[in-house]
Amino acid sequence: MARYGMALDYKSCINCKACEVACKEENGILMGADKHRIWVGNGEIEGQYPLLDITSNAFYPSQCQHCDEAPCEEVCPTHATYYTEDGIVRVDPEKCILCSYCMNACPYDARYVDDRTVTVDKCTFCADTRLARGETTTACQNTCPTKVRIFGDLDDPNSEISEVLRTREHFSLKANLGTKPKLFYLT
Amino acid sequence: MEVEISRRKFLQGTVAMSVVGATAATSLLSNEHGGGAKPGVVSFHNTKTGTGKSHDVATLCEMCVNKCAALARVENGVVTKLNPNPLFPKSKNMLCARGNAGIQALYDPDRLKYPMIRIGEKGEGKFKRVTWDEAYEAILNGTDKFPGLSKIMDEEQDNRSTMLFCAGEGMAEHTFKQFYQAFGSANWLNHASICLQTVTSGYGVTLGSYPQADLDNAEYVIMAGANRAEAIVTPDTMDIFKRTKRRGAKLICVDPRFTNTAAKSDKWLAIKPGTDLAFVLALTYVTLNENLQDNDYIKKYFNGYEEYKKSVLDNKYTPEWAEPITGIKAEDIYTIAREFAAAAPKAVYYPGRRSTFAKNDFQLRRAMAIFQALHGGIDTEGGLIFGSKLALQPHEGLQPLYEKAQARAVVKSTDGKGYDDCAVISGGGSWIAWRNRFLEGKMPYKVRGMFCYKHNPMMNMPNSAKTAEMLKKMELVVTIDTMPSDTVMYADVVLPECTYLERTDPVKTFGGVEPSIAVRNKVIDPMFETKPVMEIMKGLTTKISKPLFEISKKYDEEIQDAIEEDGEEETYAEFDLTLPFRHTQEELNHHAVAKYEGAAEQLHHHGIFYPKQDEYYKQLAINKFQYYPEKKKYYSTRGGKPKTPSGKVECNLASFASKGIDPMPVWRDEYAFSVPSGKFRLLTGRHAQFTQSGTSNNAMLRDLMPENFIWINKRVADKKGIKFADTVEVSSSVGKTQLKAYPTEKIAPDQVFFIHGFGEESEELTWAYKNGGNDNKVIEDNIEPVYGAAAMHETNVEIRKV
Repeated sequence: MARYGMALDYKSCINCKACEVACKEENGILMGADKHRIWVGNGEIEGQYPLLDITSNAFYPSQCQHCDEAPCEEVCPTHATYYTEDGIVRVDPEKCILCSYCMNACPYDARYVDDRTVTVDKCTFCADTRLARGETTTACQNTCPTKVRIFGDLDDPNSEISEVLRTREHFSLKANLGTKPKLFYLT
Repeated sequence: MEVEISRRKFLQGTVAMSVVGATAATSLLSNEHGGGAKPGVVSFHNTKTGTGKSHDVATLCEMCVNKCAALARVENGVVTKLNPNPLFPKSKNMLCARGNAGIQALYDPDRLKYPMIRIGEKGEGKFKRVTWDEAYEAILNGTDKFPGLSKIMDEEQDNRSTMLFCAGEGMAEHTFKQFYQAFGSANWLNHASICLQTVTSGYGVTLGSYPQADLDNAEYVIMAGANRAEAIVTPDTMDIFKRTKRRGAKLICVDPRFTNTAAKSDKWLAIKPGTDLAFVLALTYVTLNENLQDNDYIKKYFNGYEEYKKSVLDNKYTPEWAEPITGIKAEDIYTIAREFAAAAPKAVYYPGRRSTFAKNDFQLRRAMAIFQALHGGIDTEGGLIFGSKLALQPHEGLQPLYEKAQARAVVKSTDGKGYDDCAVISGGGSWIAWRNRFLEGKMPYKVRGMFCYKHNPMMNMPNSAKTAEMLKKMELVVTIDTMPSDTVMYADVVLPECTYLERTDPVKTFGGVEPSIAVRNKVIDPMFETKPVMEIMKGLTTKISKPLFEISKKYDEEIQDAIEEDGEEETYAEFDLTLPFRHTQEELNHHAVAKYEGAAEQLHHHGIFYPKQDEYYKQLAINKFQYYPEKKKYYSTRGGKPKTPSGKVECNLASFASKGIDPMPVWRDEYAFSVPSGKFRLLTGRHAQFTQSGTSNNAMLRDLMPENFIWINKRVADKKGIKFADTVEVSSSVGKTQLKAYPTEKIAPDQVFFIHGFGEESEELTWAYKNGGNDNKVIEDNIEPVYGAAAMHETNVEIRKV
């Protein structure tokens, strides 16, 4: 079994949104600004023209962090949210009753409602599409113009992601919450 | 547009043709009930990929000009995903947002689906569906609403130049251009004069070529007036942004706006619009004054160095002089010139690739090229490179001479030095100058009709009101397009082309550090009654060639003589317009690469070919590919020698002086930036999710950014009581447009900005119709003096909250 994770060389992100479209086309996600499995976050610039703070305008690609200690899984009353053997956090639409506890519990705001199934949806690391076909990349990783993303098996010491996490400094989002995300931001 | 087929019927067609096996039924059904006009109802082709049987077809993207390599995944005849093709050295396994959204262009319910002819008034958008033969017949013989080619050619006594031909950029532009050449007109207009004319020509006359930049190895990059994070160019965008933020390349961004490129830069310099020339001249001054130039390179490869040096030093283009003109601190200019020189030759003043913004753009490009060359960074690793190119075998075309065909419709200036509106007439012509001459009755002869291929003059050039007037005055307008654009609404005959995913295009060779040949293979058969332009040309020329020859026989004495001498059959063979279209595109492509063993096969299956590809190509890591081993890359192919006829960098162009153009780049007071109080300078530009008006109806891209917003300085907006998303009216001396406001500190208090390509008015575009603001309704038709290229940042506007 693998334990999938993703490392993000986020300083290379130019907010071009190739990943967002690749995700929607690959996984058949609904249209709409609130129907995103993945997105790129950035804040409004600080300062006054022309004295602006360049660092205030950084781009942060984000999505479900596939936490090892996922608050969404903990609060789900029907066990619709579960961990796969590969460490991916999934939602079983058959069990989901749209109580939305998980949406409130997720510190990363990574969940939204799919209006077709009327259940909660989120990133699956392309498990039903690409991984199921035997591919080893996610749609977002494969298409990225500036090659921000490295997807792979954290349990395999020889994988590229393991190597990168051994050799480069990185951080997790809201690490203080103890959710143990499997997304790592490389500095 | 009145059509005989309802949207419902269209959808039945689509469903039958494209939705088998896809999980798309729900979203397509939402269309059936009235389409996207309903708020909240989203019409798009939802293509979740399956896990069953599929195959990949190697194609090239056409969502913008880059031609990145893609693999189209086809399941049961439906294209369900476009993935990057890792084999292409130019695009290096990437596909941007637009590339991924190409599926929506293919399955856009608003596509042109069958030939149509106009039945209403010009521009009214009332058409009737006809067969291909009826459409060709209408082009030849007209209808009660418009004259055909026969009548026009007869009345103009076989002056073939009475028809204008215009085209947008694309791989099949070549095919259409062959029709133009065979037809024998001298009037050809393309995108150049509303695009990169001045940059390619500026570098062309100075270095002999418009070079590429080796951003993969450059240690210092000045990116001025280029926005590679948003106006994506492969491989430049990928190469540079992997290496910024102290990871190999220092990036200096010079732009009046704080763009995404500025966000990734080490230093952003907020320059006043149109003053980049003063910035470069001041950098050049520092280099020459402090003796930072590469004297060995200059000795070998410069013409006119001493004169240029004298000009720059004597004119005292000091950083202190440039500071008030550009708004950039003198201290910054000193630092940048010194840092650039220290990093040279692995330093790049990035040439850029964009529309002309200011009237001095040609001189700016010359000054940039010379500044780069002064430091020796030409034809070298980490600098500007010429690279290598794999030759293709040309195929037979047809360029007959018609005695009665007049020269291009331009007017010489009274002093005889140049032309009435610009100094030089380039191959692509000056669109604005040509249009205005036509409207003002200054043509040397009558131009009565036009063929328009993959081109949208209504949206693409400043002052749309004038373009509309021109299209109305044209007696016969034939458009070949995939979408019912604003220009198509003015057509007399509409010929529907299939999209790029439904056709094989002419094979293309891509030069550079890692040269290769690439092809766009047909992914699925053309939908509805659409055809590739190759087949359209074949059908059209079969219909019109003989009858037009009969008219030539009547007026062309040379043809009459030839017939007398050689007989009619032999003479006609040289005027047979069908000749360039006798072979299929696949056959022509096969022929083009015949000299490379296995190339045709490789291109057909994998899309990309270059010699020793099997040996060289390797995936080194998840995101890293080797195309050529380091030692085999073509960083330097001429030992630094420029490609000009003299083999030297040309600083002083005497031939331009005789046309009234400054032979060396100098600053002129009229270039200074100023805006009358209460007004704003309008800036326009590109965006990473849209390609001009070409993608404005793409449902997926619109999902990322539903409409364009006008950037206005936050403090100014506060004062004017304009809040985020308030609708404002933008007006100039030529027109007005409305869009929503985005107050931000990313723009100066005396400037406003919005992206180009929005606000179309064709009612047949569900998503694009009156969505956002159209910059070209407001931009005044200024042209620069050398090539007559549109100067797009020279319009001052007023802003009013509505």
